[in-house]
Parts: sequence; structure tokens; C-alpha cells
Amino acid sequence: MKSIVSIFMVVAAVVSGYQAQAFCGFYVANAGAKLFNNKSEVILVRDGNRTTVTMSNDFRGDAADFAMVVPVPVLLQKNDIRVMHRGLFDKLGDYSAPRLVEYHDENPCHQYTYNLSSRSVMATDMEFSEQESVKEDAELGVRVEARYEVGEYEILILSANESNGLRTWLTQNGYSIPDQANEVLDPYIKSNMKFFVVKVNLDQFARMNSEYLSPIQITYESDKFMLPIRLGMANANGPQDLIVYAITKQGRIECTNYRTAKLPTDRNIPLAVQPQFGEFYKALFDKAWKQEGRNTVFLEYAWDVSPQNPMKCDPCIGPPPIVYDLREAGATWLTDQNYSSQAFFTRLHVRYERDKFPQDLNFQVTPNTERYQCRYVMTHPAQGDMSCEAGQKYLQRLQERRRVEQQELASLTGWDQRVKRPIGEDRNEFVPIGGASGRSGRNPQSPIGLGWMLPVAFLVILTSLTLPEYIRRSRSLA
Amino acid sequence: MASPILQQTSPTVLSSIRQLIDPRAFQIAALGSFLIYGISNLGWNDQVLRVAIIISTALFVQAIAIVALKLPWNSLKSGAITGLGLSLLFYSSTQWLWVLAPALAISSKYLIQFKGKHIFNPANFGIVIPILLTGDAWVSPGQWGNNAMLIFFFSVSALMILARVGRVDTSLSFFLTLLGLEYLRSVVYLGWDVEWLMHKMTNGSILLFTFFMITDPRTTPNHRYARLAWASGIAVIAFVLTSYFQLHTAPIWALFFASPITAFLDHFFRSRGFKW
Repeated sequence: MKSIVSIFMVVAAVVSGYQAQAFCGFYVANAGAKLFNNKSEVILVRDGNRTTVTMSNDFRGDAADFAMVVPVPVLLQKNDIRVMHRGLFDKLGDYSAPRLVEYHDENPCHQYTYNLSSRSVMATDMEFSEQESVKEDAELGVRVEARYEVGEYEILILSANESNGLRTWLTQNGYSIPDQANEVLDPYIKSNMKFFVVKVNLDQFARMNSEYLSPIQITYESDKFMLPIRLGMANANGPQDLIVYAITKQGRIECTNYRTAKLPTDRNIPLAVQPQFGEFYKALFDKAWKQEGRNTVFLEYAWDVSPQNPMKCDPCIGPPPIVYDLREAGATWLTDQNYSSQAFFTRLHVRYERDKFPQDLNFQVTPNTERYQCRYVMTHPAQGDMSCEAGQKYLQRLQERRRVEQQELASLTGWDQRVKRPIGEDRNEFVPIGGASGRSGRNPQSPIGLGWMLPVAFLVILTSLTLPEYIRRSRSLA
Repeated sequence: MASPILQQTSPTVLSSIRQLIDPRAFQIAALGSFLIYGISNLGWNDQVLRVAIIISTALFVQAIAIVALKLPWNSLKSGAITGLGLSLLFYSSTQWLWVLAPALAISSKYLIQFKGKHIFNPANFGIVIPILLTGDAWVSPGQWGNNAMLIFFFSVSALMILARVGRVDTSLSFFLTLLGLEYLRSVVYLGWDVEWLMHKMTNGSILLFTFFMITDPRTTPNHRYARLAWASGIAVIAFVLTSYFQLHTAPIWALFFASPITAFLDHFFRSRGFKW
């Protein structure tokens, strides 16, 4: 029996090893999506009431066991469903991933130059196919509104009158639905949502000779701009990670029923982090997620990717999406002829679990076009002879800087003296080995740590407004 | 409010304290502390310039009004409240709107009047007009999250103020109507769990609106029954807009369109007007 995995499957984007030259520091590593287990990726394109959702999965088991149920606001037609190439996710993922950039100090005793090298990755071609559709009715108050074969998938669109009938129908047809799913099926049915049910056509999949299942894209018109995460929680063990790549005409998207917060960015960290940058980012995210109360949506990237915008990233860690990619994702307002069209890219990262995310994610498009990226900086020490006076001063400053970087690392990740390697290999004689202070103090963004601010600020403002009046009155009485 | 026994024992002390603390000072302290909390805890540190421009414009325009209309300087506090309210709610990536919004908000008090009472809630007017006219401004209903500390402090500080100005009824009428409608639709009809409802009703933006925007004594109807009906009417409109039209900033729009009705309600339900 197929077990329904979750609404949005686990996925991994390739952590690519290429290096790109950039205007502002070199990109040397990214924290690719592969890091996070139990993770799904979604591309969300919103234009007025038209939404295109592309869902990716890296289901690793037997394809015969794969099944997916997605509540959708409208009845989807054959032309509303496409099968996509995974390359689009890899491209958007690599482009917007948190990044480590490197700088080189110049030797204050003499100037020297170094060569830059760059490599780039070509955009991957997309391929998709559609097949015949059949309609069919069923008992149990469940109606098979449509049956499509698209790519390697068999897709059913179901509408139902009540959750028990739907569950029975799915079970009878070989889908295993967890008991807890019932509590959310009912609200979806009563909200007039349809169910988009996917399984793999094994013959077709074998013929495609592919290692992974293709992403599925659906397009619909609805004023609901949301992602139904509740159903996927029914069979989840622990928190799940969801990465949303959103493209709109106006600007950033943000969550309307959860807080959308920024992660700490533009921080200087020790050189030793480079080989474990992925782990570093994972720890940073984990710490921020806990500190913000586990019920927050995080912004990881925001940038104008309009065709006429010359600088689509700074530094670029992957080739920025071109018009073709954006159109493939669903931004059909962009054409090669119409270069005046706008496109804004937002990457959100949500780690959700049942008790902290009781509602589905609702979004709104804002006119906010401010850039944002998760960028971490490491600085290589200057090389060569440092015997001049400026060189000696530089070395002192370097030592102090290394200490601050260690503190920053501890404060961002909670790692306490975990980086055992000498800091700044090239200049480690100037730095105490394992010099992480570890006692980084309270992170200024902690919502609990500074909770006392609220009543204190209240009393201070109240007193300062009232005291002058009080003094004036006591004087006039006297 | 003080118990009768306390009032008997020390009437002068209590009344002098009550007189001393202007409810507007309370309100400034409450809104100001939310703002400081947002900057220190919710990552609004990149918003300091926007906040500074909005508040100083509000104070400046209020000062002009004070000089021009020979108002008491005390009313600068009203300008501060409007400025703080806007800085908590109004976002724009266009900087001149940071000036326009508070300027519109304060001037609406003196320019759009009916029988000596301003028609629109100033902060609400300052938010809605730039959004309608430019499309380059927005409100972030999720910005507060569902933080227990905030929820507690929102409610406690608000009730202290509202008890002084006698507008607890407005808040409760709005909140309970919205809660009831949401309960009937989400929990009873759709079958969502109670956590779903709790999450909705403890959203910081809903509470801020409930306690600090809809309650402005100068733009609510004077008569208690009219006020109750008016506030629950806003709740009904907000509920419909959110639930059936996916407008997540619905209360702000509902208040905007309900504000002119206050004048009619005051006409039919006569009562003494509010004076600070």
C-alpha cells in the first residue's frame, strides 16, 4: 500500500562546487538545501489571483510506494498540470542559498594582486509531457472529478462530501492515510477544497529511466494565496523544513499569519568555518528557529530578478534565473520582448511542526523590493613579510579580529569551542588555538531574553511624561 | 478603578493621581514600549529611520495645528499617539510616504470634521489613503507573531487605559463579535481545532487593533449602545473580508469605511462627546 508521504516531499538540491567571481567578495560555499532532512521545496508564483505552485520531492524509496495528496482551492484542468524538470529547483536553490564569501587582506607592507577565477553552470533544459485524461465517478461521497496521466504520474482530482468517505475511498484504492489526517480533511472539504492525488505510473517511470521523480506544477485562479501545510503534519515525525521560492511582479511575499523574520546576516566568521559551512548554517538556522519561538517564518533571500536589472545577485553563487526559468516557474507575464516587466524573488524557509503551526501558511504580496541575503564573510590574512611598522599593527588588529570572529561564531551557532582547528591557519601563531570565548552573552535578537524591555520601557516613558507635570503641580501647591 | 473604601480613606491622593496621569501618557507609554520591544526583539532595527521620520512628522504637523488653531500644547500628545500608531503599522519602501502618511493622519483631524468631531481615525486614515493612492505601502499583519509576553502586555496596558477613557466596551464588543464569528465558522462549521482559533485571535496585530486603534474616543460613537453596535459591525465586516475575500488586513479597511458612520450614529443616539 502506498503511504502518503507528506504534501511537500523531501528534496535535496545539489551543493555545487563551482566558484563564481563576484563584485563584492568571492562566494566560496553555500548552504545548499541538501543539508536539511525532512525537507520540501516549493516554487510559488503569484500574479493577481493566479497562482502557480511547483512541488518538488526527492522520494528515495520504491516509486511504487509513493503517493501525495495536496488540497487545492479549485478544480484543476488538464492544462493546469505540468511535470517539470528538477533543474529549475536546483537553479533557484543554488542562486538563493545562504552564502559564505571570502576577502583577502592586503599586506600593509607591500601591495600584491591575486587572480580571480570563475566558472558558471549552464541552465538546464526543461522537459515535460502531458497525457490523456479520463473522468470517473465513485461512491462514498467521493467524486473523481478528473484523472490525468502526466509524465510518470497518475493524477486524480477528487472532491468529497465528508472526510470519512474520502479516507475510506483512499484506503480502498491503495492509499494509506494516517488517522490524524481526518482532523484536517474535514475543514478542507468544507472549505470547498479539492484533492489533488498523485501516484507514480510505474511503467512510465521505468521507461523514463530516471533516478528521481519529477516536480509537479499546478496553476489555478483563486484569491487564496496559501500553502496547505496542515495535512503533511498528520504523519510527520518532528519538525519539517519547507523552502519557498516565490516570484511576484511587485515585491517580497510575507506570511500574514506567522511572523516573517530575518536571519542574522553580514557577519564575519572564522576561516575554519569554510569546510563546514553547511553545518554552520544549519546550526545558525537551528538556533534562530529556537530563539524566535519555533513559530516564525524566515527570510533567506530577496532580490529583484527583473530582466532589466543588471545585478541579480551580489555575490552570485549560482547563475541567476533567466526569463526562461521564471516563465517555466509560472511568471508568464515575462516575455523576451517585454523587458520592462518586473519580477521579484523571495526565498522563505519555514520549519514547522504541529503544535507551533496550527494554521496553514497564508501569504501576501507586498510592494517591498528591498534586497536581502544570508551572507557570511571570512577574511584571509595578508601574506608575506610583516616586519614594517604597519605590518606589526596589522597583526595586532588581526588577532583582535579573530577573537571577535570566534565570539560571533559562538553567538550565531551556539558552538562552544567546537572549532578545534587553528583559527586562521596562515597566521595562527597570532591567535590562541581554540580561542573561542564561547561566552558570547545573550543574542540581541532573543525574544525571551529581552522580554523585560516591555514593562521597563512602559514605566520609563510613563514616568518621563508624568513627572514634569507632577513637579509643576507640587511647586504651584507650595 | 478605586474601591469605595479606598476613596473614603484617601480621596484626595487617589483623585490627584488619577488626574495626574493623563490616559494619553499611558497610551504613549504603551505604544512606545511596543515599538522599543519590536526594535530590540523582533528585528525591526532596520526600521529606525522610518519610525523616526513618521513620529517627527506627526509631531511637527501637530505643532503646526496647535499654533494655527491656538490649541493647548498638551494636544501634542495626540500627535505622538498617531505617530506611534503609524510607525507600528505603516510600511512603505518609498520614503516620502513616511512623511505623507503622518501628515495626512494629523491633518485629517482638522480638515475632515463633522459637527466639531473628526470623522476618520487619524492613524487609520494615514494608513489607508497612501495604500489606496500609491499602492506602494502595506501593513504586515504577521509582524507581531503570537508572542505570549506581548499578548499579555498588550491586554493589560490597554485595559488600564481604556478603563480611564471608558472605551472597554468598544474593544470587547469588537473582539467578542469577531471571536464568536470565527468560532462558529472555523471550529463549529469547518472543524478546525481550538488551537487554530487561538492562533487567529492571539495575533498581535488583531490585539493592537482591538485595544489601540478602534478605541480612539474621539472617533467612536458617543452613545454606549451606538458604540457597541458600531464596533461589532466592524467585526462583522472584518470577518467577512478575511474569511471570504482573503483580505488579511481586513480590520483596518473595515474601520476606514465604518468611520463616517459614527457621525450618523451620534446624530441618532445623542450623548455627551468625549473630551481629553
